[in-house]
Amino acid sequence: MFWKKLKIGHHFEKPEPQNTVLTIDSIRQILANMDDAEIIERRTNNDQMVMLLYIRTLIDQERLNESVMEPLLHCDLEEINECIATTKVSRIVTMEEGQQKLLTGSILLYEPMKNQWWAALLPNPLTRAIETSETETIMFGPKDSFSEQIDQNVTMIRRRLPSTSLKSERFSVGSVSKTEVVMMYLEGVTNPEFISIARSKLSTIDFDVFLDSSHVAAFMEDHYHSIFPQFQQSDRPDLCAFTLSMGKITFLVANTPFALTAPITFFHLFQSPEDYINRWLVASFLRLLRYVSYVLSLILVPIYVALATHHYQMLPMQVLFVLLESRTKLPFTPFWEAFLMLITLEIIKEASLRMPTKSGQVLGVIGGIVVGQASVEAGFASKILIILVGVTAIASFLVPNYLVTKSNTLLQFAFLFLANYIGMLGIVFGIIVILVHLNSITSLKQPYFAPLAHLYWRDWLDLFIRGPFHWMKERPEYLHTLQKWRTSQRRK
Amino acid sequence: MFLVIMSSMLWMIGCSPFVDNNQIEEISPVILWSITEGAEGKLRISTLVPPIYSEPKKILTQEVDLLKEGGKDFNLSYHREVKSGQLRMVFIEQELAKKGITSLMNTLFTDPDISQRLYIIIVNGSFDDFIKNQIKTQDVPGYLLYRLLKHYEYKKQGDMTIVNLHQFMKRYYSPYSDPVAPIFKVDKENFIYEGTAFFKNDKLQTNINKRNEQIFQLIDHNHHLKVLTIPELSITMGNVTSKTKMKLNLDYSTLSLNVELKGRIEEYRGKGDIDNLDQLAVIHQQIKSLFEKQTTELLKKMQNSEVDPLEIGTLTLGPFSKPMSEDEWSTLWANVKFNVTYELHIQPLTNVRK
Repeated sequence: MFWKKLKIGHHFEKPEPQNTVLTIDSIRQILANMDDAEIIERRTNNDQMVMLLYIRTLIDQERLNESVMEPLLHCDLEEINECIATTKVSRIVTMEEGQQKLLTGSILLYEPMKNQWWAALLPNPLTRAIETSETETIMFGPKDSFSEQIDQNVTMIRRRLPSTSLKSERFSVGSVSKTEVVMMYLEGVTNPEFISIARSKLSTIDFDVFLDSSHVAAFMEDHYHSIFPQFQQSDRPDLCAFTLSMGKITFLVANTPFALTAPITFFHLFQSPEDYINRWLVASFLRLLRYVSYVLSLILVPIYVALATHHYQMLPMQVLFVLLESRTKLPFTPFWEAFLMLITLEIIKEASLRMPTKSGQVLGVIGGIVVGQASVEAGFASKILIILVGVTAIASFLVPNYLVTKSNTLLQFAFLFLANYIGMLGIVFGIIVILVHLNSITSLKQPYFAPLAHLYWRDWLDLFIRGPFHWMKERPEYLHTLQKWRTSQRRK
Repeated sequence: MFLVIMSSMLWMIGCSPFVDNNQIEEISPVILWSITEGAEGKLRISTLVPPIYSEPKKILTQEVDLLKEGGKDFNLSYHREVKSGQLRMVFIEQELAKKGITSLMNTLFTDPDISQRLYIIIVNGSFDDFIKNQIKTQDVPGYLLYRLLKHYEYKKQGDMTIVNLHQFMKRYYSPYSDPVAPIFKVDKENFIYEGTAFFKNDKLQTNINKRNEQIFQLIDHNHHLKVLTIPELSITMGNVTSKTKMKLNLDYSTLSLNVELKGRIEEYRGKGDIDNLDQLAVIHQQIKSLFEKQTTELLKKMQNSEVDPLEIGTLTLGPFSKPMSEDEWSTLWANVKFNVTYELHIQPLTNVRK
């Protein structure tokens, strides 16, 4: 098999270097068999011949007529780049430049007499309207969310942070997709070390296609085997602006509404934009509730398995009676009972994501009544387990970060195995392993478990609770920002 | 990380080399044991299985030499493994308790499965007959007894003496106090609280009746009594709280006991007029005298039985003196004289006339 692989490998040809001089023949060659590629000739007022090359589906046809065609036909100037009524006109020389411009929504203008190539940017403004975020819904606060248009997304952040300190650097990732990535940060606030790490990571990415920011994150993460995301994904411009102001870096990726934020800590995954809208006491309560829910979603069912398999002594007597009653005639052991019910729950959750919205209610009925009620009545599962599975399912949705919610499932199954074999000790062991792992990973080389380890007491004001803004006048310590104070009076 | 995983594994193995199979549907956790004296010095142990509402109940009884042997034999005569991890009550027959229960208590005390919050109850009568009768009418008869004990244990309401294994053993091993336990009179139909049983070391010495029980509850731990009945004076006092001060004189020959009693007269069926201040003062004096007399009698009863459940021996301890031995204290305790005084702060039932 290995030999075959090598043999097949021989047939691949190395791509030709692209930095050859751009010629009309070479461009004709690369545009062959592309039915949306257009090559047209026009003559200007002073009888200059101009060839226009573009890909029809990538450019704005209306603007082509208004800004290029019309001005060209009535142009008396020597230089055609001066005739075109668009600001983004640049001269190009190499084949690589030509290809890149063509494929990113520019038209190429060729003057045969002078053998000169120009590129004018006229991208097709194919986008959707700014809509409400569906993944991070909040009751109050800004409702707008990012779209697939990267420039529009940059605009939304810039409107919120109208400062010249807000810098944006543009990168291109993906040898085929040429996906644009804009790195934004507040100069003078964000630690330059983070910026240089991010810059070097972005510029060394080597892959062909990037269709989503999570692909980019996968290549930028310090520990890609970890189950925990090291970049926060969000489609909310207000959240990005807030994190930028804290001293973090935001990465906007073209063709996806989800921006990336780094460096983050484990605890950021539990923070919701609404935390900063609610009264601080309410926000703190809700945040604590999220942590509790997260732990519950991980270990509630495993605890049931551990207690029902090993530690019946730990149950309150009345609960024990109820449990004994409900488990007496069940055909499965607590582990298999829990395993099957959790697998069923995951199937229902996955199905609900794929099904059309209107079918969601049907799914709820099937999931709730058929799977829950019927399995109890048929004697396949105990009532207590059904309650626990229900609580687990609901609790898992309290964590705002969708990727964490998804990773819960795997951890839950790991806990289930441990609980079955060594009971509560297994659960404790699992928790220790997770804590050790969290302590060992980093986000943009910064500790992921800060401000717990490393310990930054001051940052605890926005950790398990969300302290009042009046107490949070300093930027988070673990970010090592250049400007410590968020207030103008104490800023140095 | 490797170190942490390894140390965690070692720690776990160190804790429990074998993981018990306690699969809940295959076991029968029992909540009570009843221990009586069997033939030829053996123990007769009974328990009630299963603690499941829907299944018919059964009393398992074994006559064995050793307590743990009984536990093992239960398994051989029942289709589920009988587990003692939820054991909450041990009912010990009065006659067996008189012969000494140290070995039983130690076995229970050292069993890691058995919680120290295990209620110790002395029964006068056949507890097995009572349970056999209860099976016919109740789903889980033992559970109701557990609720009864738990209820009266909560905040030490003073209506009953409730003692768990930990408290019993603590008093047992202390040189200056003796264990106590509640004693219930049991027959086929009834399970009635009789009072407090006093132990000398591990042997039941004596028990007190209901009247003395009230005094004991009041002076034991500054108790609160919801109702204090005084039939001799046709008076019922309510919401009684007591504050007890005990002091031994320098040569440990006299114990001064001062009880500050607060409460209100809630019922009076005597011939006097409690609306009248003078007559009320007389009644106060009568109550005071009666309590002083009854308390002195109770203390003398304890002294005669050579028990010290009130932990009076601890008064001999001082920061710079050598603690005396148990025997020394016992000798002293047998000769202590009592000086009991009561201070009454009683609210009358109604407004009184001067």
